[in-house]
Amino acid sequence: MAAQKDTLLARYKDMFRIRRFEEEAARGYAKGKIGGFLHLYIGQESIAVGASATLKPDDYVFQTYRDHGTAIARGTSTRAAMAELYGKDPGISRGLGGSMHFFDPANGFYGGYGIIGGHVALAAGAAFKSKYKKEGTVSMCFFGEGATNIGGFHEGASLAGLWKLPMVLVCENNTYAMGTPFSRTSPVEDITKKAAGYGMASDRFDGHDVQEVEARIGAAVELARSGGGPTLIEILTYRFRGHSMSDPGKYRTSQEVEERKKRDPLKVTKTQLESLGCSEDEILALENQVEEEIADAVQFAEEAPPARHDVMERSVYAPSNYVYPPVGQP
Amino acid sequence: MRRPSIFLREGIPTAIRPDGTLDRTHAPDISTERKRELYVAMLRTRVIDGRLERLQRQGRIGFHIGSLGEEASILGSAMAMGAQDWIFPCYREFGALLSRGFPLQSYVDNMFANANDIVKGRQMPDHYTSRAHRFGSVSSPIGTQISQAVGFAWAAKLKRDPITVAVYFGDGATSSHDFHTGLNFAGVYGAPVLFLCRNNQWAISLPSNEQTASQNFAEKASSYGVAAKRCDGNDVLATYHTITEALGYIQREKKPMMIEMLTYRMGGHSTSDDPRAYRVDDEVDRWAKTDPLVRMRRHLEHLGGWNETDESEAKQAVEQELSQCIERAEAAPPPELDTMFDDVYQTRPPHLQQQASQLIHGPRAVDPHLR
Repeated sequence: MAAQKDTLLARYKDMFRIRRFEEEAARGYAKGKIGGFLHLYIGQESIAVGASATLKPDDYVFQTYRDHGTAIARGTSTRAAMAELYGKDPGISRGLGGSMHFFDPANGFYGGYGIIGGHVALAAGAAFKSKYKKEGTVSMCFFGEGATNIGGFHEGASLAGLWKLPMVLVCENNTYAMGTPFSRTSPVEDITKKAAGYGMASDRFDGHDVQEVEARIGAAVELARSGGGPTLIEILTYRFRGHSMSDPGKYRTSQEVEERKKRDPLKVTKTQLESLGCSEDEILALENQVEEEIADAVQFAEEAPPARHDVMERSVYAPSNYVYPPVGQP
Repeated sequence: MRRPSIFLREGIPTAIRPDGTLDRTHAPDISTERKRELYVAMLRTRVIDGRLERLQRQGRIGFHIGSLGEEASILGSAMAMGAQDWIFPCYREFGALLSRGFPLQSYVDNMFANANDIVKGRQMPDHYTSRAHRFGSVSSPIGTQISQAVGFAWAAKLKRDPITVAVYFGDGATSSHDFHTGLNFAGVYGAPVLFLCRNNQWAISLPSNEQTASQNFAEKASSYGVAAKRCDGNDVLATYHTITEALGYIQREKKPMMIEMLTYRMGGHSTSDDPRAYRVDDEVDRWAKTDPLVRMRRHLEHLGGWNETDESEAKQAVEQELSQCIERAEAAPPPELDTMFDDVYQTRPPHLQQQASQLIHGPRAVDPHLR
């Protein structure tokens, strides 16, 4: 009981950290401190946290452009994450990638990707490497429901099934692909039906309970690690904010959003904690720690030096000793 | 050496029994005359295939991609289609085009890429097309024709044109992303498409069981809410029957359907391929026992509608027609140099006029060896 309480408290803290990080990111964006795009994960935190709890440090994780939550759950510091959003040199991608392109291999996070579905093929490649080199690692790939109609998904999933790769394909079905409900782009509502076409296992469940996410994804990770091949998991979830900061969300009613907020993963976990005998003060103390951490991250990002020109130039090609011949001479 | 695991057509309905009699539940209700037409179309395809392969070996044409062993799946499906329906081919379906009345001379002209070639000598051999015969262009890139057929069918649906669009592809193409997007799109919009997967067991040198982890190719259709069936693609009557029913379903339900036709590529992938490098002979021998022509001929003989004289006369007729076509095609000149500038712009812009002038007054125009 005590162990379960401690574990759940830790999960709550991780989810709360992501939530507060993103709220501050939205604020920074509104103030014009963050450029480019910003896609918030608010409402889906239970998935990043529950999934990360099942992985080992050297496992591979691939995420879409909605990547802050997963990177932080994997261990990217909030300082490095916020600095990246601010386009600063100590950012996780040296301030050159921004919101959509976090990259932190030291923590087993192999990137946020801007191209819908393209990274499924990359994740299959990582899984192939793992199998080929007998690493015993697992490649986990997150994508939205809209991505399942993309060629990259078909090709990645097809090879993962065929070669029984140690891979877990996690479809975060957050109900809308930008403003398009899934029913308008697919004749089958249940995405896991696609698993049969690739000869892989599947699972489908609601994502608001972090404990359930951890248990169900954990089973798929175990299967992959033990050589049982890939699993296609569909997790039904909901994003409370717009697709990105440029989306006012006119395709859904505020009642629908309010209704879904009743199953806010943070609220759900809080109720579970209370029933495990956790006091309000205990939770508050933990929240205060996170508040301090996030405030520190924002201040760090504000004060950090901007991204560097020379780093950018050196980041395009691998180092080379080739000396270019002088121009304008015979 | 590898071999595909799918050999037996377990649970797949067959119309023609080994003794030549018919299982009527899986056979179409068609006249003996129509059956003869089906057989002759298959025979004609096989004779042409044999001759074109020899022409390639003699260096008279550059390339041929044949349909040896797959005649029943190609003709059984194409000849079950209505005249108003469209066909989008893969690259192995010249038999389907000829069955629609496309002149053999035009096909042979395409093989020789001469001045009379319908695509003006700009493509490899076996890249035919004909709007008049409602037949799309051959696609060398694997799977691209699937998306094209779906778009075409969707347009027909929007125009309330009651046609079905059939699209051929091989087992390998099911791994292409055009298969994925095409089937999904057809499923969402209810496009009247008949997806025809010719599962000939080999994607060039890759056996079909190494292509996918799914049980079979038809199973993939359920991912897109598309109905699917498998049929004995070496039994021309079973194929004809399955396709007739599928066409009825598509028009009645306003939904697409996929048919996996189980067949076997008895020859190489094309004249550029030698399958002895990757497959064993006894596998080919086993499949030769299910040769679609042998099976259909046995049935016709059982009906009393075919004999040895018919066979040799039919073969001879094709050989003769073919010889004349080849003679004319070889005698025809190559396309005029100037024509390569056609069909790009509606009116030729100045820089192309200049290039065309340089070309036709240059050394290639004067020296026939450079042509």
